Amino acid sequence: MPFDPSDPLDRYSRQIRFPFFGETGQRKLLNSRVTICGCGALGTVLANHLARAGVGFLRIVDRDFIETHNLQRQILFDENDVAENLPKAEAAARKLRQINSTITIEPVVTDIDHTNILDLVADADLILDGTDNFETRYLINDAAVKLNKPWIFGGVIGSEGQTMTIRPGSTPCLRCLIEDSPPPGMTPTCETAGVLGPAVAIIASFEAVEAIKLLSGAFDALNKELIMVDIWDWTFRRLKVAGLLGKVDCPCCKHHKFEWLDGALGSHTTALCGRNAVQVATRRTEPLNFPEMAARLASLSDVRHNAYMLRFATEGHEFTVFPDGRAIIKGTNDIAKARTLYAQFVGN
Amino acid sequence: MPQVRIPTPLRPHTGGNDTVEAEGATVGAVLGQVGEKYPALRERIFDGAELRRFVNVYVNNEDIRYLDDLDTAVGEKDEVSIIPAVAGG
Repeated sequence: MPFDPSDPLDRYSRQIRFPFFGETGQRKLLNSRVTICGCGALGTVLANHLARAGVGFLRIVDRDFIETHNLQRQILFDENDVAENLPKAEAAARKLRQINSTITIEPVVTDIDHTNILDLVADADLILDGTDNFETRYLINDAAVKLNKPWIFGGVIGSEGQTMTIRPGSTPCLRCLIEDSPPPGMTPTCETAGVLGPAVAIIASFEAVEAIKLLSGAFDALNKELIMVDIWDWTFRRLKVAGLLGKVDCPCCKHHKFEWLDGALGSHTTALCGRNAVQVATRRTEPLNFPEMAARLASLSDVRHNAYMLRFATEGHEFTVFPDGRAIIKGTNDIAKARTLYAQFVGN
Repeated sequence: MPQVRIPTPLRPHTGGNDTVEAEGATVGAVLGQVGEKYPALRERIFDGAELRRFVNVYVNNEDIRYLDDLDTAVGEKDEVSIIPAVAGG
């Protein structure tokens, strides 16, 4: 028997019954447009919640293809998607259309950078962070502040995650909260420190409920703090950050200097023709700490370094990293892939 | 004594301890003493005399940047938390 709902709102009846949401909230959600930046662990959980909840238009942007080690936590994907070698955005759209055929889903397979971010978010009511790196988050932050749009930050590593709802002018922005991104090699990534599926699902679910509040107009119920959760030791904290607004001399939301959006900060990546290699160049002032990076990468094969470079190999790619953060990644000509590998193994 | 809470990614630098006690009347003094005991931790959170720009410090859930930064007073029962940026997702 085909699926044939006589009442288009019936599928949302249980959330409509929730008194703080109601039919008014539902109609607002159905008329909303959201861009989800990144469709990995955070992004699949976000897209799943919002498609089921009935956000009318979802744009899902991701540069990657699905790999076997994604299946542990990226809930919209399955073994067939790996076998078909599908891009994440496309596989997510296919799955989401089966879940809810009444909304519009627009998959975009692209690498988000300073040249395309404004186009990807200009028509959205809200931007959601499903990324795994600070470079893209600062780009989202610049675009959101410039266009005066809300966005929701989320980050997860190991068993720990953080999230914050950012409304330009009303709350501190990401650069107020985190003034500079950790230099490459200075913080663990999901590839070096691991990540638990439930930790990502919790942070993405917090982001999703904030999205539902924002889009339905329940502004008073929004989170005004930095939420921090560690599911391994049962920590749940609400860190008070509202006082940072105006107190921090923020280049972005106070001075409207959009350094990431202007391309003054961030990486510049080029394929090295004929070498099956890509160079990822970041603009850094502090030199990298190779002994520390080598310790962090110890689980990978053959990590070597001297004063001039650090070299390691993983999953068929050889990385040569230089003290200024520049890296040459052998084994691919694909710029998006190289940027992914850099974010995964070097950091940003 | 004030307690300093160590986030999971930095616990390898404190012998696995999730909290460390340290004496001091200000955040700077407390973290200075922790840093003397655990130099590798100090390296992760300080750049010279300044906190690294991707590490934030809270006293009882309040960000010290809108208090008195490293001069923020801490009492016997206060809790100082080190909160680094979380990159993944």
